Amino acid sequence: MSKLGQVVESIEKYNKFVLDQVKRARSDKDFGRDLLGRWNDIKAKIPTTRTPTGIPLPRLALPEIDEPGEIARYLSGEGLPGEFPFLNGAYREMYLEPIREVESLEKNDEAKNGKSAKKIAPAEEPTRLFSGLMLAEDTNERFHFLTAHQRTHRLSTAFDGPTLYGMDSDADGVFGKIGEGGVAIDTVEDMVRLYDGFDLGSPKFSASMTISGPAPIIMAMYIAAAKRRFGPSVVPKLRGTIQADIFKEVQAQNETIFPIEPSLRFLTDMVEFTTHEMPRWYPISISGYHIGEAGSTPVQQAAYTLSNGFAYAEMFAARGIPVDQFGPRLSFFLDCGLDAEYIALARVSRRIWAIGMRDVFGAGPKAQLYKLHIQTSGRSLIAAEFKNNLTRTAAELVLAYMNATNSCHSNSADEPFTTPSEEWIRLSANGQAILLEESGVFKHTMNMLSGSPGMKAVERAVEAAILDEFREIERLGGVLPAVEERYQRSQIQNAAHRYEQQIYDGTRPIIALNKYRNGGDDIPEVKLVRTPRKKQQLQVDRLAKFKKKNAEKAKRALHKLASVVERGENCFPMLLEAVEVCSLGQITGRLQEVVGRFRPMV
Amino acid sequence: MASPVRILTAVPICDGHDSAINTINLEFIRHGIEVVYLGYHRSVGDIVRAAIQEDVRAIGISSYNGGHIEFFAEVIALLRKRGANDIKVFGGGGGTITHHDAAAMKRKGVDNIFFAGTSLAEMTDYVRKQYGKSRGSRSHPKLADQELAHKLTAIEDGKRSRNSKSEIRNPCKARVIGFTGPGGAGKTTLIDELVLRFLDHNPKGRIAILSHDPSVIGEGALLGDRATMINSQNDRVFMRSMATRGQAGGLSPATHDCLALLARSGFDYVIIETVGTGQEAMPFQKNGIVDQTVLVMNPDYGSRLQLQKIVMLDLADIVVVNKSDLQRARTAHSEIEQRLEQNQRNQRLIDTVAKRHRDPGVDRLFALLSTGQK
Repeated sequence: MSKLGQVVESIEKYNKFVLDQVKRARSDKDFGRDLLGRWNDIKAKIPTTRTPTGIPLPRLALPEIDEPGEIARYLSGEGLPGEFPFLNGAYREMYLEPIREVESLEKNDEAKNGKSAKKIAPAEEPTRLFSGLMLAEDTNERFHFLTAHQRTHRLSTAFDGPTLYGMDSDADGVFGKIGEGGVAIDTVEDMVRLYDGFDLGSPKFSASMTISGPAPIIMAMYIAAAKRRFGPSVVPKLRGTIQADIFKEVQAQNETIFPIEPSLRFLTDMVEFTTHEMPRWYPISISGYHIGEAGSTPVQQAAYTLSNGFAYAEMFAARGIPVDQFGPRLSFFLDCGLDAEYIALARVSRRIWAIGMRDVFGAGPKAQLYKLHIQTSGRSLIAAEFKNNLTRTAAELVLAYMNATNSCHSNSADEPFTTPSEEWIRLSANGQAILLEESGVFKHTMNMLSGSPGMKAVERAVEAAILDEFREIERLGGVLPAVEERYQRSQIQNAAHRYEQQIYDGTRPIIALNKYRNGGDDIPEVKLVRTPRKKQQLQVDRLAKFKKKNAEKAKRALHKLASVVERGENCFPMLLEAVEVCSLGQITGRLQEVVGRFRPMV
Repeated sequence: MASPVRILTAVPICDGHDSAINTINLEFIRHGIEVVYLGYHRSVGDIVRAAIQEDVRAIGISSYNGGHIEFFAEVIALLRKRGANDIKVFGGGGGTITHHDAAAMKRKGVDNIFFAGTSLAEMTDYVRKQYGKSRGSRSHPKLADQELAHKLTAIEDGKRSRNSKSEIRNPCKARVIGFTGPGGAGKTTLIDELVLRFLDHNPKGRIAILSHDPSVIGEGALLGDRATMINSQNDRVFMRSMATRGQAGGLSPATHDCLALLARSGFDYVIIETVGTGQEAMPFQKNGIVDQTVLVMNPDYGSRLQLQKIVMLDLADIVVVNKSDLQRARTAHSEIEQRLEQNQRNQRLIDTVAKRHRDPGVDRLFALLSTGQK
């Protein structure tokens, strides 16, 4: 049985444990009394806050139960926010605003005297500003513009096509793609330019890099660039995330450059290095988003993301990295659409992850957390009467926050037909602020919308369906064999086709597309900013200079790198050396000679 | 009956967005179009080479990662350079291609760009109308591969039944190797790995591949072998994908004549790959044009009894158990070995893991094939 099979057993066992607790609470009087006592303690400790109109609300809403069996079911089956098995949230307070005190006369006087209640400094802004365009210096300028008025600098980097495929800007036939859709990075010098002016070692800075296939090489370039600017002591201080999710690339997004097994090996090499040397770095973002966008059902998305996560955990543990070291450095990324499953998809995922990590991998509390970023669904947005997309995204945001996601990105309504423009980006960001800060839905009370009978019904149905998917993957021999047999890919493609079919035959209503269509085409004509040829040529010229300057050293470094890989050693330290003198494409090419190229799956 | 419309679809280099094209491909074949699918992350050179060899009417490019103005223009420029002006180009890219871009692309010779929100029916109608008309007389081909491609089309369309002597320019016959076996055994991957070895060992040699996918008379087909091949995208490889167009047994009505032509067109090797076959299939005639036959098996064929029913196990010169890293492979090897011993024909049995880079089993198979041992 693979670890995934054990995860299935652990969930079944845990569910049985919950039932046993319920029975025991009802039959064992002492146990029941203790539970009731604990429950009353919990309730007594919940602080009260006030709405702007002055009515009191508890900071945490609990079900109105006073029977020991139901209390046991709630506490062990769901857990309070921030408590195992984390159904209601990874943390205790999530998006709650600071407590509003009772507005008594005295307090008002105090306020007048300038002794107002201490304001709790808010944590980091939840915004991650995804950006990447043209050359490194252009993206750098954009980063400085975006963070000009922010206390914390959380940069999210998009790369251009050639970089995502580990190719150099001078490769055959990629000229037009240099700097399109993301920034062009060929060398460590580009990486220095990209984050110029930012204090990479500061606790207020973090960099996110959305790249998977060549992630270890890009990671090495980032570290090398940081060392060039701040010296070797900066390495343990580096904070950020690199996507590096090989499984979802093979299952859905198709940006893989080496065969699966060596890809996973290079990833593990990197994870081994970062968990030891860069304790604040997230070396992988286990992503369902692209699986969802490629057309999967919500359950497939959750099931493949979780099972990929468990497969990574198994690999890292097999390498000898302690689970409590790598576990807290894993993060997750999900899509949120409009289907009913999304009412509880992330909640159920968080619970399965916690139980599996604790009971199969022996993880401690910090390594049990399913730390989650959600993005609203791009696929749910359509071009026809596109302003409706504001409503779609708003509804998805409500669902995402009902699931107590740790952070969220809302899409722009104009995405179906263009790169988001500033107007619609602002509206989508405001959508989040309106929901979290203006409305009272999420800021006063944890669990405000949790625990409805409908939500519970969805939880049960989704959990059962996810476990069925796990069993099927287990039957195929585990995640890796299933991936190689293209099980997940074909499931996703079938679901995508069914979705299109349903839109076509009207069983899936899409307003203004197959229902209530008024025929008007209101798409504004847009003019996109494209990378000028001059800039593309500049990148090619710079690369040529770099290659010429380092020609001899590059040859030696590539030779050394190849032999490290041939010997089966951790290649990451050698990558760190190689990026000093070699370009991305040179390293990719040499590694492909040793381990082969990825064979595309259809 | 008129031959189906043949087009090629692909996603440009550095672009992995294949969700749209997968859906569109299915819709095309449902409406009688034969689609040679080249896959994603494909260069201009790969696309133009494939389009010429496959002699398609048009290339459909689905681009979502930017740089489309340049990419489409480069495809058209290279087609013209190679004298393949009669291969048309169309495409789409959802919201990434603006109306302004599309106008610029059309000026450079692109037939049509489909925008976000275009229905599948609209695209299918367009392709059938635009590229379904008879080609009329064709201009003289510029390159040998193009000439060969045109002749293969004529044979496939029934416009030329036999190759007249005068057309056989090369008296030297290529070594013809037939690959067959059940679907999913890894034939295409194995062939692609053999091609890599061939190209390495014969710095000037050329190889041809005739690959088959199933189709029903008058209907479309997805010809998708190219999409998973990486080494065969090479100027020294000539590949042609054929739909069986209703013929049972793993090959097409035109296969024999096409193969005869390929075998005398200057290649060192011609590889012919059947569709995934059933137990009763015996696609290659005895003492026919095929010099050597390879049966590629999956270790998961079921019980030992099933082996008795597989006709090709009696006929194949070489039997390959691919995916020999699977648990059942050892059992499969010994069961098949026993089965072959009954035949007393000195058939060879080789275990391979074609998906693995530099697999020694594939090396052994290559050695066997290149020495021509039976």
